[in-house]
This record gives sequence, structure tokens and C-alpha cells, in this order.
Amino acid sequence: MSMNVQPDLEFIRAMKEAGGDTLKKCYQCATCSVACPLSSDGNPFPRREMILAQWGQKDKLITDPNVYLCHQCGDCTEICPRGARPGEVLGAIRAYAYKALSWPTALADLCSSAKNLPLLIGIPAAVIFVFWLISGGMHIPSTEKFANVGYGHFFGHWDFRWLSKNVLFIDIIFLSAVAIAVISLYKGVTKLWSGMVATLDNKDVAYRPSVVQFVKLFLWPALVEIVKHNRFKECTVNTDRVKGHLPLVLGFIGLFIVTIYSAFTQDVIGIFIPSMHGPISMWNPIKLLANVSAIAMIVGIGILWMNRTKMEAEGRASNTFYDWFFIWVIMAVGVTGMLAQVLRLIGIPSLGYISYYLHLVSVLMLFLYLPYTKFAHIIYRTFAMAFERYRESSFVRNPLND
Amino acid sequence: MSDTAGNGAVLVVGGGISGITAALEAAEVGKDVFLIEKNSYFGGRVAQLNQYFPKLCPPTCGLEINFKRIKDNRRIRTYTLTTVKSIAGEPGNFDVQLETAPRYINANCTACGDCIPACSEEIDDAYNFGMKKTKAVYLPHEMAFPRRFVLDKDACSAESLEAIQTACKYNAVDLGMQAKTFTVKVSSIIWSTGWNPYDAKKIANLKIESSPAVITNMMMERLAAENGPTQGKILRPGDHKEPESFAFVQCAGSRDENHLEYCSSVCCGATFKHISYIRNQYPEAKIYVFYIDLRTPGKYEKFRAKYMADANATFIKGKVADIVDERDGGVTVVAEDAVTGSKVHQKVDLCILATGMEPALGTTGKALGVTMDGNGFIVPEPEKGMMAAGCAKSAVDVYTSGQSSTAAALKAIQIGR
Repeated sequence: MSMNVQPDLEFIRAMKEAGGDTLKKCYQCATCSVACPLSSDGNPFPRREMILAQWGQKDKLITDPNVYLCHQCGDCTEICPRGARPGEVLGAIRAYAYKALSWPTALADLCSSAKNLPLLIGIPAAVIFVFWLISGGMHIPSTEKFANVGYGHFFGHWDFRWLSKNVLFIDIIFLSAVAIAVISLYKGVTKLWSGMVATLDNKDVAYRPSVVQFVKLFLWPALVEIVKHNRFKECTVNTDRVKGHLPLVLGFIGLFIVTIYSAFTQDVIGIFIPSMHGPISMWNPIKLLANVSAIAMIVGIGILWMNRTKMEAEGRASNTFYDWFFIWVIMAVGVTGMLAQVLRLIGIPSLGYISYYLHLVSVLMLFLYLPYTKFAHIIYRTFAMAFERYRESSFVRNPLND
Repeated sequence: MSDTAGNGAVLVVGGGISGITAALEAAEVGKDVFLIEKNSYFGGRVAQLNQYFPKLCPPTCGLEINFKRIKDNRRIRTYTLTTVKSIAGEPGNFDVQLETAPRYINANCTACGDCIPACSEEIDDAYNFGMKKTKAVYLPHEMAFPRRFVLDKDACSAESLEAIQTACKYNAVDLGMQAKTFTVKVSSIIWSTGWNPYDAKKIANLKIESSPAVITNMMMERLAAENGPTQGKILRPGDHKEPESFAFVQCAGSRDENHLEYCSSVCCGATFKHISYIRNQYPEAKIYVFYIDLRTPGKYEKFRAKYMADANATFIKGKVADIVDERDGGVTVVAEDAVTGSKVHQKVDLCILATGMEPALGTTGKALGVTMDGNGFIVPEPEKGMMAAGCAKSAVDVYTSGQSSTAAALKAIQIGR
């Protein structure tokens, strides 16, 4: 009897593209699982994930919580006796998993290759530009008007007080992008969670946690841990990364608060008090928070950028589109946003408008591509960390039996 | 006899089991042979073993008969404490400059040992990997050939040196001895420079310096040997506890890009040999072997099967990547069991690192024009008059070393006839 072995070329190619082609060098010595400061005694990784990847068992990998729990600190790669770079391989598996978990597939495919970079930038650039054209706001304002309203009339202006024209256009564009991302992530997290539950030894869990219990017992502690960066600090090889990631995360949280606040004040309170529209004073606490957060974000991503460059130069990390695209987008969001503000303050409407346009494009890229790029880790890793707590909780483990 | 041996003479560099074998093979077919050895005694690494494969003989068994053959063969001239300084000429007609370091003890020495009480300084006993001290004037080991003392002059005070000299009845202590350089004319060179145990200190995560309970496999040989630091009783260095449990860490520094990227080939067999030592002394002791693959090919398969059937020996597929010092003098080794997929934290009384073989010639070989591969093993080039034998050529056992030594001798005697 002959056996017909069909190699899974699609998976192999995806691993290669995301910098994980060293996986074939692994000979399963399991040094990595001991070197990894995050790997637990009962569920060690990444040795198991390495062989699953070698065997092409991608379905098992996609729903393996360990894949997401890895913070890619590089401790395992440093000590690996074969140069199989387990840390890099797990990064590549994550890149593959985000793609496999998300919807729509076409968008996920688009985000997975450097060849599509022109389209990845071109689509959001065209969308914003087309909306700018059809909004009728398509002109550069005078210096006086620019000083008064800033970018508030980018998509034009009308006197309908319940909803300003600019807000309408911004909402159409960005809420649509956010909606796509939310649907995609919802589907992905559902798929991930049910897959992770299927890996449990105890298949018949008597009681499932309520939503409140889930958030209180599993999700919230995971979020607290993420903000504290405890796991990053466990790493011994690549300690510089936490110096970049921490300000970046805090910057994102700050900017999230600012966005919610200004959406509320401008779009809700603004209906009753029209003066709430337009630029906020530089000394307003919320504006201060915005600027501090923006600087934290730029500094944070800058440190990560330099760190990654250094690691690649030393041959400790591979140069992948998956990693760099994410860094570029965040850097673009930070720099264009800051530039738009500076140009408004010094009063150069033409350059300001260009910066603002680029800012909108990069923010749209960040939102729209969130589920398919490295940014997806903020959702999937969070849920994997919640699952890790769930797995050890009395919902799954019977404390009387174990 | 003068140093100008006739055409076809062979220089054998390294007087371990491979060099001795190659020298005898060449001499016994009628070639003049210069056998040089860096150490103060012949026998190399085999002399440090308790027992050696394939028949688990004590080294006396194989070495003594060879020493006798050397002594009986006037064609072999032996030089200890001697190294190669430079090589000139071409195949068939080499001028090799050699240097003999001063031993400070001349041929009058009868190894009576009267100098020992006179010497007041102690040094680490290199033959026993520092597990014991020896006086600074010493016989390298009980069965050392040549049977002659060595004096570590730098370690001794002037009074001590004077006392040593006075104590010697045979006028064998020569404090004025100088390094001696001389040239030999040979037709071919056999490199049998052997191996060093890989320096376990370089394997940072195995922390050999953190606890006396972590030793290397070569130290285990000494602990089990009757002429070793514990008279053959396997005891934990430091507190001399009789170990109740043992962990073997296979591939310690071997098959590892960061250390030795090749398989040293003998360490798995050596570990099974060590299990046999342990079983002779501690029939009930717990033994844990952590491995990537157990490589005991050919004739060693049966030996392995015997000890794998041992009820108190556990074999765990997973390399030890961390060792933690424990308060009671033992250590805990940490590995992932790749079969069960969970981590193992095994507390043991004694942990043996199965360190591999590193070719000993090192960078000096390059400077002498020897071709070496990326790992430092010698690439034999008979057309250039350069042969290699034993572990200088590849990491192998004694049996295979013998084969390659005969092969090297066969090549060597064809040059410069």
C-alpha cells in the first residue's frame, strides 16, 4: 500500500511569510518549555506547539491558549540548541491564527502579505478622499477660520444642530470600520473560546459562569494583569520591550478615554451647548491627557521600533511584514495626529489638512485591520489569559477531585 | 640513537589510546616513531576512566599491555610534556620542532615517594578534576607511565623546593631544568590529540558551580574508580553523602548550536555505564535519565536494554534546562516530559551532566597548518602527510578510535618509504 502525503503548502507558506520557517529545525528537546518564564507546569509551551506546527495541525494550534499566552520575549529562542526560534514560530502561528479566526476572509488575506501594502494604504486613503469629495467640505479653510474651528469642518458644515456634518461623516466611516472589526472579533473570540473549551480534560462542566461572573472572575483580573505588564517583566532576555509596550498601552488607554469623552461632550452635550464644538483649550485637563497619551504612544512605539531593529540586526528576530506593519500604523497614527495639532496651533491650514487627512487614513487602518493584524493580540490574548484563569477555576476543576 | 631517524619515520602527536595504538601499529611494521604527549603521562582520557567500553575493562587492562609493547619496542621514542612548535617541509620530509616543558624530575626518579612529606604545598589534582588535592610534587596517578614524579615548581616556596631536593635519595630533583626545543625529521604526522570534556561552566543554565551535587560524567568516572578521590565509593562531593537518587542530564552542551553542535556519540553509553556503577553500589537508588534521544547504536543496544528494564530507573524524554540548588545539599532538575506534556521537577541527591567531547587541539592546530572542520575536528589529508586518529578526528568510543588509529598508521607508513 502506498501512502500519499500531501504537504500543507498553504500553512508552510504562511509560517514562512510570518518568520516562522525555522520551525523545521526543532528536534523536540523541550529546553524551550523550561526556559519560558510564562509556561506553567501543567501546560508547558512552546515545545508542544512546535511539533503541532511541524505536523501541520493548524486547527489545534488556532485554539491553543498557549499560542496567545506567549509574549514572544525571546528567552526560548536565546537558549534553543537548534536555532529553531520557538518565540518567532509562535509569533508566526499567531499571525496565522488571527487570519484563520477572523471574518471576512478576503480582508484577512489582504492584511497578511506585504505585497498588498499599496492596497492596504490605498483603500482607506480612497475611502476618506471620496467621502471628503462627496461631503462638499473639499476646500482648505482660511487661516482665521482654521484657528477658530480647526479640523471641525473637514467634511463641511451645516446648521442642523442635532448632528453636525463632520460628526456624521466621521461616524459613517469609523463606526462602519469599528462595526466590521467588532463583528469579526466577536466571531473570532467565539470560535477561539469554544475551541479552547474543547481542549479541557473535563468535558462536562456542570455550571457555566454568568456574564457578570465571567467578567469579575476572569476577564477583569486578566485586564489588570495586562496593564501591570507582569508577564513582560518575567522575561530575562528582552527586557527593553516593556519600556516601550507599557507607555504604548497607557497611551492607548488615555486616548480611548479622550475619544469617549469628546464624543460625549461634542456630539451629545454639543447639541445643547454649541460652544462645546471646536478645538478644546490646551490647558483643559482632557486635552492635557490627550497630549500626554499621544506622546506616550509615540515614545512607546518608538522604543519598540528601535528594539525590533536592534534585535533584527543581532539576528534574534526576523524581519516580517506582520510585525512591522503594526509598528508603522501606530507610528503613523501618533505622528500625523501630533503634526495636525501642531500645524493647527501655528496656523498652516494647507499642511494641517494634509496631516489631518493622513491621520484619518492611519486611524481607519488601525480600526479596520485590527482583527487581522498583530493588533488582534489585544483581544485574543486577553481572552486566552481569561481562559487560563477559567481553566484553573472551580468551574472546570473540581477541587474535591483534583 | 640520534634524532635523525631514517626515511619513513612517523610523528604521533598525542599519547592517549589512539596515539599509542597508531604508534605501535607503525612501529611494529618497522617504522621509527616519535610519540609525544602534552601531559606528564601516557594513556590520555582512557587512563581517567573507571571502566571502558566495549567490555567494561578497567583502563589498566588495555593500557598496561600497550605500555609494555612500547617499552619493548626500540623503534618508538616517547616524550611527555611535549608539544609541537612548528612544522616545515613536505610529506616524506618534515622537520618538526618540538618543545618539552620542564618536569623538574629527571630519569633517576624511582617513584619512591620520599619527596611527598617534604613538600608542604598542595595543588588541585587535575587527574581527579580537582575533587581532591595532591602535593605539588606528585605521581600523576597510580599507574602513570612513565612512572616518574612531576614537580609543580611555581606552586612551591623556596624552602619547600629545598626540602624536596634534600629528601630525594636519587638526585632526581633538577630545579634548573629548562624547556627543551628540538627538531625531528619525519615523513608523516598522525594527529591523535584527543578531546577535552566540554567545559560545563559554559552551560549557564545547568549551573554546575551552584552546587557540589552537580558533577560531570568524567567526574563520575573518577568517583567510581578505585584510584579516585573516594577510593571508588560513589559519594556526593562536599558532604560525602551516599546518594539515594541520581539524575543524568544527557546532551549537556552537545547537539547544541550554542555549545557543541554535534552529537558526542558516547555520552548515552557512558550514562548506562554509570548506571551499572551505581547499581553495583546502590541497588535500590532511584535513577532518572533526562534525554532527547538515547543513542546507543550497535553493540550497545543490549547494554541499554538491560538498564532500561531496571524498576528504579526512570527515563524521561526531555532535556534538563534548569537546575535549582536545594538546602539539603541536593538539587532539583527541571525539564518538560515531552511524552506527558507536563513539566517535571525532580529532586535528587546527585546530578550528573553528560557533557560531550570537545576536540583538544583547538586553534593551535590551525596555526600549524592542520585542516580542521567547523567544530575543530581534524580533517585527515594523507596527500599532505597529515593523518588523524581517534577523537581528534571525530567524537567516537575507544573501539572506533582503535580502528581509526590503525587506519591512520596504515596511511602513514606509505609516506616516505
